[in-house]
Amino acid sequence: MTFSNLYLYQIVVIIVSVIMIFQGFQRFAKRESGQTIFKLLLRIAVWGGMVGVVIFPKFTYQLAHSIGITGNINAVILTGFLLVFLMIFKLLSAIERLEQNISELTRKDSLKEIKKED
Amino acid sequence: MPTERTNITNLQNDKKPTNPKLGVGVYIVIPAFNESLVINSVIDEIKVAGYNNIIVIDDGSSDNTCGKAKEISGVTVLCHKLNRGKGAAAKTGIEAAKLLGADIIVTMDGDGQHDPVDIKKLIFPIINENYDVVLGSRLKNPKGMPWYKIVHNKIANLITWYLYGLWVTDSQSGFRAYSRKAADDIDTKGDRYEYESEVIREIYKHKLKYCEVPIQVRYTDYSMGKVQKQGFVNGIKTFYKMIWRIIH
Repeated sequence: MTFSNLYLYQIVVIIVSVIMIFQGFQRFAKRESGQTIFKLLLRIAVWGGMVGVVIFPKFTYQLAHSIGITGNINAVILTGFLLVFLMIFKLLSAIERLEQNISELTRKDSLKEIKKED
Repeated sequence: MPTERTNITNLQNDKKPTNPKLGVGVYIVIPAFNESLVINSVIDEIKVAGYNNIIVIDDGSSDNTCGKAKEISGVTVLCHKLNRGKGAAAKTGIEAAKLLGADIIVTMDGDGQHDPVDIKKLIFPIINENYDVVLGSRLKNPKGMPWYKIVHNKIANLITWYLYGLWVTDSQSGFRAYSRKAADDIDTKGDRYEYESEVIREIYKHKLKYCEVPIQVRYTDYSMGKVQKQGFVNGIKTFYKMIWRIIH
């Protein structure tokens, strides 16, 4: 396979994936807070997996065949989407909760002065 | 810390209050973010209008708004260490006013676009007609208001009405007055501009008695130039937040 044989979507996915993996390495190397080896491996698995799928699309047929869902691949994809949406929803909920906690802490901190004077 | 309470009888020269609560405490809450250039003149104007209980909440400004506001004596200045948004700052101010024993709380913007002379119009229905919330409405007096702001407001009103069930002419106005009861009842979660619409939802939810009064807004180059104002992008974000709170 040569670069000229690739479709546009494959090139885009490869570029994005490489950037994401590179950022993961960078963050891990800088020892940014919350960056663990597990997160880095997960990032490599997810984005690397995407690169693998776009470069070798036939692999998905083999995978589907080997796990016996060749005829139901659409259902699997939809289930995957559902799971992703659920994860996003959960993440947004957690972010929202954190945002509110930060606001509440900020508020309590700023009101300390008044409470002291009382 | 302000100790002097604004005597309503001095403010209502045209009509004596029928409310027996004389010497009622009116607190003016000003959420401010990077308003160091104008915050002192805003405070001075409020004092000239006859209100001395002023609470400024510096919402994590990077331009020493907090220090500037503290230059004026008798003003309660609270500082958010982090920028949490206009809604969060207004809520902090209302909590502070409650702690200081406020009977009526007025919120107004820190960029000088609201005229303190209108405070009298806002608190009058609470004192004399037992209203819980009085909403200052720019759309009842749109003179000088840019056309795109009118359009933006009308869209916001429509969305607020559709999502929260209450039609008001200016759902995004920050110039409002609350009775103590309303301040106790209203419970908002929105930190940013969605706060204004959430107040409308709370009015509906708690069946608070409310009315709208026309207010004068002074659009200056300064106030129009501020990037964190409710523009198109912020409007979209506000809409998203409102939807999120409903499905969440």
